[in-house]
Amino acid sequence: MSSVSTPTLDAIDLSDREFWGAPPEQRHAVFDLLRRESPFAFFAEPVVPYIPVGPGYHAVTRYADVEAISCQPALFASGSGAVSIADMPPDLNEFYGSLISMDDPRHGKIRRIVAKAFTPRVLEGLVGNVQAVVDDVVARARQRAADGDGTIDVVADLAAPIPLRVICDMMGIPDGDRAMVLHQSNVILSGGDPELVEDEELMVTAFLKAGEVLAGLMTRLAVERRARPTDDLTTALVTTEVDGERLTSQEIASFFILLLVAGNETTRNAISQGVLALSEHPAERDRWAADPGITRTAVEEVVRWTSPITWMRRTATQDVELSGQEFPAGSKFLLFYGAANRDPAVFADPHRFDLTRDPNPHVGFGSRGPHFCLGAHLARREIGVAFQAFARELPDLEVCGEPARLQSSFVNGLKRLPARLTGLR
Amino acid sequence: MTRVVVDREVCMGAGVCEMEAPEVFELDADGVPQVHEPVDLAVVETAVRACPTGALQLMD
Repeated sequence: MSSVSTPTLDAIDLSDREFWGAPPEQRHAVFDLLRRESPFAFFAEPVVPYIPVGPGYHAVTRYADVEAISCQPALFASGSGAVSIADMPPDLNEFYGSLISMDDPRHGKIRRIVAKAFTPRVLEGLVGNVQAVVDDVVARARQRAADGDGTIDVVADLAAPIPLRVICDMMGIPDGDRAMVLHQSNVILSGGDPELVEDEELMVTAFLKAGEVLAGLMTRLAVERRARPTDDLTTALVTTEVDGERLTSQEIASFFILLLVAGNETTRNAISQGVLALSEHPAERDRWAADPGITRTAVEEVVRWTSPITWMRRTATQDVELSGQEFPAGSKFLLFYGAANRDPAVFADPHRFDLTRDPNPHVGFGSRGPHFCLGAHLARREIGVAFQAFARELPDLEVCGEPARLQSSFVNGLKRLPARLTGLR
Repeated sequence: MTRVVVDREVCMGAGVCEMEAPEVFELDADGVPQVHEPVDLAVVETAVRACPTGALQLMD
């Protein structure tokens, strides 16, 4: 932490890709400054090849403003794009954003259909599944370390396979298609990271191709499930009706992409960065290992601390006012959840990682409003089961190298995190 | 007696209430919570506060 240089307002550019690969302490120092001095700081938009550059955006960093925007969806809309800074062509936007980039009444209709598959009670039936997946993943990771040089990659061997296998089980994705699903969802959420999208010029093409491949898989599965229904989520999606309406093939395909991508990347990054946070805070790690009873608050703190989705965008539908400031219709706002989650006005000692923090009204799953994370229960369950298993089965896990950070402003992610199992020698 | 009122138009079926207080809230087939009386104020207050869409209201 001592190496963090003091940022100055003029030097801050949130559209600079380099900034997003910087260590979290450095980024938080910047957000602390913005929150204090310039809570609606304005930035020019990053350039995306072949997409017209828009007017720029305001970076919202205060908890209260993030909440005010989220809970007024009629004034601050998602329909012109919630997951990209630039206005993407409408068909692209809808295809990749699905529910996320949609407003009422359509959003409400589709959300009600899919919400049925995500109730806590339905997910209750998945506990055994999540536990079995986690146990198997952990056992394989230990085996891999034992067979090799005693090391594992926390991302590839623990954090990635857990949510991938859970979401693929839920959706009934055949084993043979799963590696492809992981790769394509990585591409879609890479934010153009050079390691995943080799040529920035081809970024949009790469996204499109990834979406096409995933949609192809969904179309194939939808046909199979209509002919032979099972108890998986895909069957629910192709058969559920609300007010006599079913989802169209296009809606199903784009929701499928949303689930795969959102269900994989977010939980994965919460888990990998949770492991990193625990290794940096050994007293907290010991506390959780000694008392599984704190799991409920510990999971919330992991989500607050890691804030895997960095922002969602909203666009003003008319002239609006926020904290006494006025903004014209069409203004774009990026809601920086990680910044709101460190707002001292809401969180005492916000840069302290405290597994028993309570209350912890973090916005890691989004703030109050219709777009609150659909998979929050599933994510909580996965994270809770995973960390309890790590404490039990991998007590000797030790991070042994620097994390490789994803250079994406949208996803706060790790590409790799080397660790060793010290009990193996 | 305290009652909980659910605004079905606002509810998005996030199910946070059911997670906070499963003995009181049970999501129906539309994903909207049914409220099981009697309501223990201490138990439901957290759930009402936690509702992401503000669809729950306490009424005396």
